[in-house]
Amino acid sequence: MRAAIFISGCRHYCKGCFSPKTWSFDYGEPFTLEREAEIIHDIKHNPLLSGLTILGGDPFFSAAEVCGFIDRLVAEAGPLSIWIYTGYTLEELIEHPGSPEYELLRRCEVLVDGRFVEELRDPSLLYRGSSNQRLIDIQPSLQQGQAVLWEPRFTF
Amino acid sequence: MAWVSQTYTGRDTLLDEVIRMGEEIVQSRNLEVLRENANLNGESFSGKMSKFGSEYSKWYASHFVLPTRLVQAIQDNIVYVHDLDQYALGTTNCIFIPFDKLLRKGFNTGNGSVRPPTSIMTAMALVAIIFQSQQNSQFGGVSANKLDFDLAPYVAKSFAKYFRKGLDYFEEGDANADLGDITMSRSDLRDQYPKAFNYALKETKSETFQAAESLIHNLNTMSSRAGGQIPFTSINYGTCTSPEGQLVIDSLLTATMRGLGHGETPIFPIQIFKCKQGVNQNPGEPNYSLFLKAAECSAKRLYPNFANLDAPLNLMYYDPTDPDTEFATMGCRTRVLADRFGRNHLSGKGNLSFNTLNLVKLGLKHGIALGHRQEPDERGFYRDLTHYMNIALEGLLHRFSIQASQKAKASDFMMREGVWEGGEQLAPDDQVGELLKHGSLSIGFIGLAECMKAMYGKHHGEDEAVYQKAYDLIAYMRDYCDGQSEIHNLNITLFATPAEGLAGKFTKRDRAVYGPLPGILDREYYTNSFHIPVYYNISAARKIELEAKFHGLCNAGAISYIELNGNARNNPEAFLKIVQYALQQQVSYFSINHPIDRCSACGFEGIIGASCPSCGSHENEVHIRRLRRVTGYLTGDYQTRFNPAKQAEVRDRVKHDA
Repeated sequence: MRAAIFISGCRHYCKGCFSPKTWSFDYGEPFTLEREAEIIHDIKHNPLLSGLTILGGDPFFSAAEVCGFIDRLVAEAGPLSIWIYTGYTLEELIEHPGSPEYELLRRCEVLVDGRFVEELRDPSLLYRGSSNQRLIDIQPSLQQGQAVLWEPRFTF
Repeated sequence: MAWVSQTYTGRDTLLDEVIRMGEEIVQSRNLEVLRENANLNGESFSGKMSKFGSEYSKWYASHFVLPTRLVQAIQDNIVYVHDLDQYALGTTNCIFIPFDKLLRKGFNTGNGSVRPPTSIMTAMALVAIIFQSQQNSQFGGVSANKLDFDLAPYVAKSFAKYFRKGLDYFEEGDANADLGDITMSRSDLRDQYPKAFNYALKETKSETFQAAESLIHNLNTMSSRAGGQIPFTSINYGTCTSPEGQLVIDSLLTATMRGLGHGETPIFPIQIFKCKQGVNQNPGEPNYSLFLKAAECSAKRLYPNFANLDAPLNLMYYDPTDPDTEFATMGCRTRVLADRFGRNHLSGKGNLSFNTLNLVKLGLKHGIALGHRQEPDERGFYRDLTHYMNIALEGLLHRFSIQASQKAKASDFMMREGVWEGGEQLAPDDQVGELLKHGSLSIGFIGLAECMKAMYGKHHGEDEAVYQKAYDLIAYMRDYCDGQSEIHNLNITLFATPAEGLAGKFTKRDRAVYGPLPGILDREYYTNSFHIPVYYNISAARKIELEAKFHGLCNAGAISYIELNGNARNNPEAFLKIVQYALQQQVSYFSINHPIDRCSACGFEGIIGASCPSCGSHENEVHIRRLRRVTGYLTGDYQTRFNPAKQAEVRDRVKHDA
């Protein structure tokens, strides 16, 4: 079970988006320091959590701010598994090492990448909406400079 | 005897009541009455026929049989007598069946005698028949508390047969040779006769699986109670570590996951996996892989639930050499373990009856919610509570005197075959009282959350100080039960009532008096027992922590639930983590609710909103079967089978996020 944070603001405007109201950068509640502290406290004190998932919007449109939040979270709650969703592809995100987007990616464990393509929608897919999207194991992908797919480690 | 209300005095009024009763049943007018029990189709012919019996029986009992004070307490809407239709008859509630004994000795159904089985296929078929034969002896559930242990010997019998056959076919040895007890753990036989041994293993696995599959089908198809009701069966398993026992568990889980004919989730039996440290809780323990499989099955099919043998109240009676001392449940949650007359095991006894207290009404009378006072009147509350517990107990004792005076032949199969321990020694006309005393009489409660709200303005999930008050209240009720057990020399226990037919009844009447008070009476139901309200936003871990402490108090049984919103099938890791967290917090009996919807157009199972995510069919065009759990039992389709109050409760269930 994971904590989920939706970061408002997205300019991909995918047709059939599950939550178009989060395209606006003004949607939702302000991500203030107090709110951040509350969320960090909740995550830290929840014994059932296996990690954090960041969705949107698209968090990569607010990459620098999200990086700051992750750093505070890890400093206070210790290292944890972070999954992140984006409409960008891995290849786009790793084009400029050192960019805020690259820095955000570097802090996470698994990336679900790619725009939602309505024609490719498939509700049977694990953790994603359309078949062009991928579950990417970020750390080995960064080392090898190409996408390494994530494999579930726990199956029934 | 029990003429309390002025309105009952005239004979004309009585006659009017009887006539109206009939009309409501014939014309399907009163949905609360018809759907009182989620597993009974009250609109079917046989359902209506049984309603005629039960409605009259209730009417008769409340006018002519019940103690006057009890009738008054019912009219006050503070005490509820469960299964009132069985009160005057002296029927008892439920039982754990000693399948080992019945299968070993054979039994008589009343129409004919049955020999002991010599294969697992026949043994499982007989399990269904025993459930069916027993269930009309009582009104409540029938449960197997250790089905893996009970059936393991018959897996061995099948194995031995195949092994001897194999010796002959493969010409490995003499099929009639004296080889001692032939079992699946005989590695010497495996080494000496590998072909016959492997053949026997394969055939036995296949037979056990087919037997399990037919057992589950049988228990979903035997409509042997009126109204298309199938027996309320429960099976507990998980701790037998012989290869034969493990095969029984594995086969039951596989068969459950495969589902019924079209892959539907089986409604019966309720399945309970017994969790025990050292046996099945950690990697390396003999049945750990079966525990994982149980979690997988539960994520797919809502069953099994999880029983915690390590919770202190269960562990204190645990004897590792006697599986009959392992905590198990009657599915809905009923627990009978301790017996002041020494039968500290499960099979051969059960609960006799229970009465439930409406805590909310007492809270309203003595709390701040109605604006009559600034400070809650706790002394008044406890005085009143004790008064009504005395009445509830008086009712239980009075009912017990009726039950105890019944002849053995009235419960037929149960006594004749010794399903109730010792029954086989009674002559048909002997009274059963001496044996029934091993069963339990329970006082239940409902609406602790709304009671706290009425008393203090907050419920026990909202405020630490209120939580302490809530805990003290339930602890007081438990002390009361313990004290009365000493006084009356009977097993009197405290029950976290399953609120099946009761969920809306108390509320409807209280609301008519007090109006829709926010947080107390603005919903159609009261919160189950000590649960944190289903509509209250709280994390799963916190809900478990808060409810866990109450489990230790409710020695007649309790259950805690977590509601998951996601499709639990896709998240085995979370599922396991939650289950093990609950066990670690000493929750005695636990289960995870998650929606299972099934599209009748394409067969997709998962979460379905208005439209099926797989084929796009809309719920207005095709039937979406929505399976939900009520009081521990699953029911096929909650929108047509749940009563209105329970439907409202399901609608309001907040999912417990991280």
